[in-house]
Amino acid sequence: MQNNKEEFLSRLQEQQLIIYKICNSYCKNEYDRADLAQEITYQLWRSYSHFKGDVKFSTWMYRVALNVAITFYRKTKTSEAVIQLTEPATDPEDKKEDGSELEKNINTLQQFINELKELDKALMILYLEEKSYAEIAEILGITETNVATRISRAKDKLKQKFSTLNN
Amino acid sequence: MEDTLLKDLWKAQDKKLDQAMKLNVYLLESLQKQKAESKLNSLARFKGRAVFLGILWVLFLAVLVYGNQLKNMYFTVSVSLIIVFTILAIIVYIKHIALIKELDYSKPITDTQKKLSRLQASTFNTRFLLLQTPFYTTWFWSTEMINGMGMKFWLISVPITLAFTVLAVWVYKNLTLENMHKKWVRKLVNSTPEHTSVFKAIDFLNEIEEFKKG
Repeated sequence: MQNNKEEFLSRLQEQQLIIYKICNSYCKNEYDRADLAQEITYQLWRSYSHFKGDVKFSTWMYRVALNVAITFYRKTKTSEAVIQLTEPATDPEDKKEDGSELEKNINTLQQFINELKELDKALMILYLEEKSYAEIAEILGITETNVATRISRAKDKLKQKFSTLNN
Repeated sequence: MEDTLLKDLWKAQDKKLDQAMKLNVYLLESLQKQKAESKLNSLARFKGRAVFLGILWVLFLAVLVYGNQLKNMYFTVSVSLIIVFTILAIIVYIKHIALIKELDYSKPITDTQKKLSRLQASTFNTRFLLLQTPFYTTWFWSTEMINGMGMKFWLISVPITLAFTVLAVWVYKNLTLENMHKKWVRKLVNSTPEHTSVFKAIDFLNEIEEFKKG
């Protein structure tokens, strides 16, 4: 059991960053992000004993993490809306400091992802994580053609957003 | 904007992310204890509470039937049928809890989310409880009451029971997911404590279907 735990933790450690990226994309406030990171870690550990290796570890991990994030997001959406009314979405101090082109573009990308619906958000995260269309289809449970169509649509919208920002 | 630029931007945010949470065995063990109250289990907890209350209700009614010692057949039959309906609802809820516990988060996202949304919308599976309504209008009947009321019994009590029967059967038949677009169905669902999650689940089910279509 202890060995199993050590093995799980070392595999998780290698892929840890993706958990933070998913949390960052699905939760707007820090408290929820930390809560979601814990929930994902817990559900990954719970499911690990059933991991048979029939799919890649990363595919399995993305499925669990995104499934938990979507479920968590749908449960906390109402409270987040209330928080947004009382807290500014971005810190005005950040705006002053984040004047660089790169920061602006990162913020636009993050804002675009935040505005997407739950499933499109998952699709976009996987695309940006450079997963192949076949793996994205396997994680989401849709066809590769569907993946390609949806990504192309999302990219068009994103390009429009960036061009509006730059003009 | 090129694809590679988009992906570079995505990578550039890595350093902005908080990586304070260092995983270790101790943290994992404390998480296991703490997450017994996991947010994702709230649906199972809600159904668990309903099962508990249902069992209390059945026990209470069973005591009443036992106390009545078959003195009044109308009471015994009506309350016994209400007990049967409640037991059936308890069984349905226990099945739901088992399904929630078995929910596999490592399956493809659209499949898992579909199952979860169906479970959240499963309030409709217990709509057969509506069919017990007429028995709430007959449990107080007795031979003395029927004889004492005479024609009034046939002109008032029986039509009330018949009206409840017709209404219960009609609502049971029409209260379906397919009829959710109808105003009265939405109003009726709105009056239940679970309505928000039911509506959200139905909307999300439609979203998943759209997503799968492409």
